[in-house]
Amino acid sequence: MTNLRSLWQRPDARFLVIFLAILGVAFTTIAFNKVNDAVVIPYTGFVARLSGAVLGLLGEDITVAGCDVSSPRFAVTIYNGCNGLITSLIFVSGVLAFPASWRAKAGGVVAGLLAIQAINLVRIVSLYYIGVFLPDYFDESHILIWQSLVILAGVGLWIVWARSAATAHRLAR
Amino acid sequence: MTVRADPTDHRLFVRRMAVAAVVALVVWVLLRPALDGAVTSFAQLLIRAYEHPKVTRLVVVDHRAEVRRADLRSDSALPTVALTEIHFNTIVFLALCLALPRPWSRKQLERLVMGWSLLYLSQSLNLLFHVKFLYASAFGAWSLQHYSTVARNVFGFLQYATDLPGRFAFPFAIWIGFNWDQVMPIVGLSSGKKDADGRDKKPHRGRRR
Repeated sequence: MTNLRSLWQRPDARFLVIFLAILGVAFTTIAFNKVNDAVVIPYTGFVARLSGAVLGLLGEDITVAGCDVSSPRFAVTIYNGCNGLITSLIFVSGVLAFPASWRAKAGGVVAGLLAIQAINLVRIVSLYYIGVFLPDYFDESHILIWQSLVILAGVGLWIVWARSAATAHRLAR
Repeated sequence: MTVRADPTDHRLFVRRMAVAAVVALVVWVLLRPALDGAVTSFAQLLIRAYEHPKVTRLVVVDHRAEVRRADLRSDSALPTVALTEIHFNTIVFLALCLALPRPWSRKQLERLVMGWSLLYLSQSLNLLFHVKFLYASAFGAWSLQHYSTVARNVFGFLQYATDLPGRFAFPFAIWIGFNWDQVMPIVGLSSGKKDADGRDKKPHRGRRR
């Protein structure tokens, strides 16, 4: 018991326990079929429509059906994992687990989610064009380059937010 | 006059992360065949440890793990699992470790090895649960006969948990867990670890709370 208490008093252990607990609850929640059907799939459809709209602005003849974004030149299907939701949940868990004020956390969640979605939008649009012009490199770009970049971008955003939250926290004390 | 960069500067860390990502990608590409083999071998070892008779063989073919069972008919199609998706997160972990100050110091290299080992374990478990879920759900009547509904759900959940959530979250969690005293000064907090006199171990200008 004493060991557990002393472990809990360590900030690194406390952050990791809270981070993994929030992450576990969040990922378990979205794993349920009802949540998947009611939230994840409509959200992925929204990301598909948004990507289609951006590609349309860039002059592509785009049709969006559900999570499929297609044109006569190429088609992409957006799955869970490509919709930015996983990175967003990791970012939100990191923000909520970090020792900062609730006001800073709320601001961080909103700004971070918007930034991650913007990055994910760039990712989908760029992958569409890689599919059009460099189809042999699509798989590698999809997994190696962009998945890694999106995770690293999430970590970078968390670092920047945590720095500003910690500074504000220090100034307020 | 020489001006030394502040190792706790978060902007410097983010810039270093961009360079480190390129280095990590190159390292991963060079190690890719070895990682394919290592993840597959360990997953096979774990599967066979609880298998009677020991019939599963995982063979790497074109960066995919081909699931071969000695009791399958010779004309059966062989299921495969993509290995790239399982261990690409090594790039993320390496990039984060290399972006920290003094990544080649003995202490940081030890942490890199320990963290990478943990990540490797998570990747092997991911492949293990992929294969077990395949056995429990994709082999029709055979799956129904050999795996209960509970087993199907348990393996399904473990496969899901180690797949997308694990692949994305483990590199960050492992990195921050092993490098808390390095990361906290970067985000502007003390690491919370004290020296013998009760002071922060790594104090820096105006950052102590």
